[in-house]
Amino acid sequence: MSLVELLPSIQALPRSEKFLLVQELVAELAQEEGLAEGEYPVWSPYDAHEAAATLLQLLEQDKVEAA
Amino acid sequence: MIEPACFPFVDADPTQPRVSLTPLMALTLTHGKREVAVPGLLDTGASVNVLPYSIGEQLGFVWERQRTAIVLSGNLARLQARGIVVSATVASFAPVRLAFAWTQTDNIRLILGQANFFMEFDVCFFRARTEFEVKPKTAG
Repeated sequence: MSLVELLPSIQALPRSEKFLLVQELVAELAQEEGLAEGEYPVWSPYDAHEAAATLLQLLEQDKVEAA
Repeated sequence: MIEPACFPFVDADPTQPRVSLTPLMALTLTHGKREVAVPGLLDTGASVNVLPYSIGEQLGFVWERQRTAIVLSGNLARLQARGIVVSATVASFAPVRLAFAWTQTDNIRLILGQANFFMEFDVCFFRARTEFEVKPKTAG
């Protein structure tokens, strides 16, 4: 089965299953490259600028409500 | 002029002394009548402050009542988060309002990031002498 045939099925998957699929593929590729010896999660929210903007809006609301 | 408070880097993993030295700082969070003292990780690369789930609960927040959804990045992206605002006290400085992305996990430290911890405090890291200084912002 080719990627072109698979793509519509992949696109129909729920968001959570798309994440799982990506993780599965990355793990498989890492194993092939000999990089699968450990897991190094990065919990820090780097480049989460949209999240920062939302929190700053929330702080503004908080300031208005406190006034 | 306000004198900075000085904190030591802490070995986050006692089995890995020196290499696991981490800028952890005690702070007190307050919401209503509830108060929680907790160590926070000063993370200059983090875009936002992040609060572990149980700390939010201890402060009296109820997940279902928080309406501001926050989309995070990295490993946190797969978890839901809500925006909340609390008062935070560092050392003997006056309390400030900090906004947090409250996440549905306890598998993280409390993270102090750019929005808005580093907007409220000036921080100098002296890693070679394993300490850092914090004081309220002087401009802006």
